[in-house]
Amino acid sequence: MDDRKANIDLLFRNGLKDFEVLPPPEVWNNILPAIRKKQRYVALLRTAAMVTLLVSTTFLAYRLSRQNPSSFNEPAISYGQDQIFDRAIPAEPTLVRTMPSDDRQTGSVSGQQADRLPGPDAESVEEQFVPAAFVARPGTPDISNSLMKPSSLIGRPSRPAAEFNPYAGNNPVIDPLVEEPVKKDNKWRLTAMDSPMYYLRPGSGQGDFPGSFPLEQPRMSYSGGVGVSYKISKKLSIQSGLYYASIGNEVDNIKSFSGFSKFDYTKGDHNFEVHTSSGIILTKNPDVYLSDNMGDRVVTMYGRDVFDPVKANLPSLDNSLYQNFGYIEMPVLLRYKLIDRAVDFNLIGGMSYNLLVNNTVHAMAGNNRYDVGKTAGLNNFLVSSSLGMGMEYTLNDKISLNLEPTFRYYLNPFSNIGSITVNPYSFGIFSGLSYRF
Amino acid sequence: MPDIKNIIKGCLAGNRRDQELLYRRHAARLYAVSLQYSGNDDEARDILQEGFIKIFDNLVHYKNEGSFEGWMHRIIVNTALEKFRGKHNLFRVDNIDQIQEPDADPDNDDYSGLEASDLLDIIRELPPKYRMVFNLYAIEGYSHKEISRMINISEGTSKSNLSRARAILQKKVNLYTGIRKSAVNG
Repeated sequence: MDDRKANIDLLFRNGLKDFEVLPPPEVWNNILPAIRKKQRYVALLRTAAMVTLLVSTTFLAYRLSRQNPSSFNEPAISYGQDQIFDRAIPAEPTLVRTMPSDDRQTGSVSGQQADRLPGPDAESVEEQFVPAAFVARPGTPDISNSLMKPSSLIGRPSRPAAEFNPYAGNNPVIDPLVEEPVKKDNKWRLTAMDSPMYYLRPGSGQGDFPGSFPLEQPRMSYSGGVGVSYKISKKLSIQSGLYYASIGNEVDNIKSFSGFSKFDYTKGDHNFEVHTSSGIILTKNPDVYLSDNMGDRVVTMYGRDVFDPVKANLPSLDNSLYQNFGYIEMPVLLRYKLIDRAVDFNLIGGMSYNLLVNNTVHAMAGNNRYDVGKTAGLNNFLVSSSLGMGMEYTLNDKISLNLEPTFRYYLNPFSNIGSITVNPYSFGIFSGLSYRF
Repeated sequence: MPDIKNIIKGCLAGNRRDQELLYRRHAARLYAVSLQYSGNDDEARDILQEGFIKIFDNLVHYKNEGSFEGWMHRIIVNTALEKFRGKHNLFRVDNIDQIQEPDADPDNDDYSGLEASDLLDIIRELPPKYRMVFNLYAIEGYSHKEISRMINISEGTSKSNLSRARAILQKKVNLYTGIRKSAVNG
C-alpha cells in the first residue's frame, strides 16, 4: 500500500518534471507594461538620489580644493626666521623707548638702542608699546615693515610700524586684519520644516506573498515638524527634533458598498480581509461590503456566489481603498557645511526613528471619507536612513530660509506578511524657516 | 546564447531585450507549473502573469545562491498559493476521516503509456484543495505541518486531503492506462 502511494507520487513528480507548455502570447503583452511602469518609478527615485549625492559630492570636492592654509597663522617667510626674530609670535607687548625722530629708522629701533635708553622720565624719549617680535636683533637689516606683515598684506602700500601696532597708545588706526572684533556665535538653531513626500514600496522576498501588487499606487504624502540643532564646530552640527509623517497608499479596483450590516448575521471581528503590499486590511465597519474587481485580494465568507450587493441594492461607494499611516519621527542627523556664503550649502545625513501612531483605511463616498478599518501586519517601529542637501539663505542674524531635498531609505520592513519584506524609499523637498539663538 | 547572469543584469538595467529573453526561456516550464496548480486556463495565465511580474520586481533580491529556475519556480508556486488562499481561506475545509482507497491492481502498475500531458490533465481534474495539498506534498516535498500553515488547515486535514487526492488520482490513472491498453490490444 505504501509503495503504491509512493508510486503515484513518483509517477506525477517524475512525469511532470521538466514538462513544458507554451503560454498564450498575450501573457507577455500584459507583463511588459506592468514592469515598465514600476521601472519608471524606480528610475525616478534613483535619479533623485543620484542627483542629491552628486551635488553634495561636487560641492564637497569644490570646497576642499579651494581650502588654503591659513595665511594669518603663517609668517611671510619660512626660512631663517628664528635667526632674525626673538619670537615668531608676539606674546606680551614690550615697552620700548624709541629714539627721537631724527635718530630712528622708520617704525623700530634696535635692541641695543633700547637697552641703552634712559629711564622713562627722559623728556626726549617717546614711549610706545611695540610687540617684541617687531624688534629686530642687532646687525640685522630692518625688514619689519615687510616681513612682519601677514602674507596677504605684502604688496599693499608700506606703513610705519606704529601704524601696525595695535597696542600703540593713542593710535586711532587699528588694522582690522590684525585683530578682528569677536562676534557672538549662536550655537543653537530651531527649525520648522515640512515637505510633500513621494514614497515607493518595492517588495522583496520569496515567501507566501512575494511582493508585487500592480494594482496599488503610492499617494502623495507629507512630513513636517520642528527640529533643534546644535553647532558642534564651525562646519558641523547635530540635529534632532519631532516630525509627523503621513504616508498614503491607494488600493485600486476594490469595490466598496455601504449598508451591509443588515445582511450580516455572523459573529467575528471582521467580515472582509484585503491583501495589500502594506499588510492585510481588516474591516472594522460592519456596514461596509468589499469585492475585488480584478483578482482574489478580498477574502470573505460573503463572496459574490453567496451575496450579491447589486441585487441587495447596496449603495456603491468607491472603486478604491485608501490606506493612511501616520508616524512620529525622531531624526538624528549630522549637518556638514560645505559652503558658507549668503546661501549656505550643507550635506545632511543620519537616521530617523519612526513610531506608528495612526493606521486607518477609508473609501470615499463623494467628498466624504467612509471608514473601512485598518491594516494589520505593520511594523510599529521603523528606522530610516536619510541623505540630503540643505540650502540655507540667511535673512538676518537670527532667521534663515531652508530648502532641503532629502532621500530616505527604510532599513527595516514596512510590514511583515509571511516572508515578504517591503522597504520603502521616499523623496521629498523640505522647506521652512530656522531661528538661531 | 547569453549567460543567465548577463540576462539578469540586463533585466535589472531595464533592457527590454533581456526581459523578453528571460521570459521566452522560462515561460513554457513555468506555465506548466501554473497549469498544474490551477483548474482552468484563465487562472493559469493569471498565475504566470502575476508570477513573472513578481520575478522581474524581485530580481534585484536574487543573490545568485541556488538555482535561478528553482527561485522562479517558488515564486510561481507562491503566486498560486496566494490565489488559492484568496478563494478558500475563510471557507472551512472538510475533514475526511476515512478514505476508502482503491485496491491495488498489479496489472495497472505499468504507467509507461501515460504522457506528461495526461498526468497534467488528471491532476487538474482534482478539486482545488486536494490538488493544492497533493502538489505541495508529492511534487514540492513540503511536510503536512508546513502545508497546514501555508493554506491554513490542520495537519489532519492536510493528510486527509492528500489521501483523498491519491485515491482519485489512482482511479483516474487506472482508467487512463486501462483505456490505452484496450486501445492498443483491441
